[in-house]
Amino acid sequence: MRVMVLVKASKDSEAGVMPDPDVFAKMGVYNEELIKAGILLAAEGLHPTSKGLRMRFSGSERTITDGPFAETKELLAGFWLWQVKSFDEAVEWLKRAPFDGNTEIELRPVFEMEEFGEMVSPERRERKEHLRAEFEKRTG
Amino acid sequence: MRFMVMVKATQDSEAGAPPTQELLDAMMAYNEELVKAGIMKGGDGLQPSSKGARVQFDGTKRSVVDGPFAETKELVAGYWLWECASLDEAIAWVKRCPNPMPGPSEIEIRPLFELADFGEIVTPETAAQWDRLKAEAGGQG
Repeated sequence: MRVMVLVKASKDSEAGVMPDPDVFAKMGVYNEELIKAGILLAAEGLHPTSKGLRMRFSGSERTITDGPFAETKELLAGFWLWQVKSFDEAVEWLKRAPFDGNTEIELRPVFEMEEFGEMVSPERRERKEHLRAEFEKRTG
Repeated sequence: MRFMVMVKATQDSEAGAPPTQELLDAMMAYNEELVKAGIMKGGDGLQPSSKGARVQFDGTKRSVVDGPFAETKELVAGYWLWECASLDEAIAWVKRCPNPMPGPSEIEIRPLFELADFGEIVTPETAAQWDRLKAEAGGQG
């Protein structure tokens, strides 16, 4: 199964404060362990919300609000995508991450096509596979 | 430039309400356009927070709190990773997205960090780790 690991923001991350060089190095080592374990699928850091925006969809209306946004501890600062045998395995790996200070990380299983079950007709499934092949061809 | 484009949760997505056939079709067509434009680098739907958990780090302490979580409109329900020429291009593409939810909804756009953005804290060793990470984690597995 795949799990998304969401690193919540902090006052520092929102202020654009760079990570402690020691923590940055430890995170590099941790990512290498994740790679060796065959778990790491993706890892990204997000710029502060001051560099981002939100678009509201309401009927045919589209409204843009520029960042920054207020609810710091609910904002996202980074994420991983992991391939794991179980949700518990993801939790155990996360406990080993080298975060310092007060940090909160959210884990969420992602939907696989199978979870949509009967909603996905054979035609749609085939089209999705075709799309995935096209995507993989282009991203190499 | 690379972006994370996040679909925020709603009561519907948190309740696990399945998408309509119409929305599935419209989203598939939209995703096809993103792939054809060379923009799509990844994307997933996240299961409701009732299936998730949070781990709190405090010094060496680790506490696990099970979902669901209350702040619905701050939760992430889905995301894409895009490569666009500019933030404006990403915005234009988001405008073309079919409404991902049955009612009003919100999509957040955030630029991603590149190695150069970390400036002085990067060492030759961490730069090499970064390169290996990107080589390994470029796709979606």
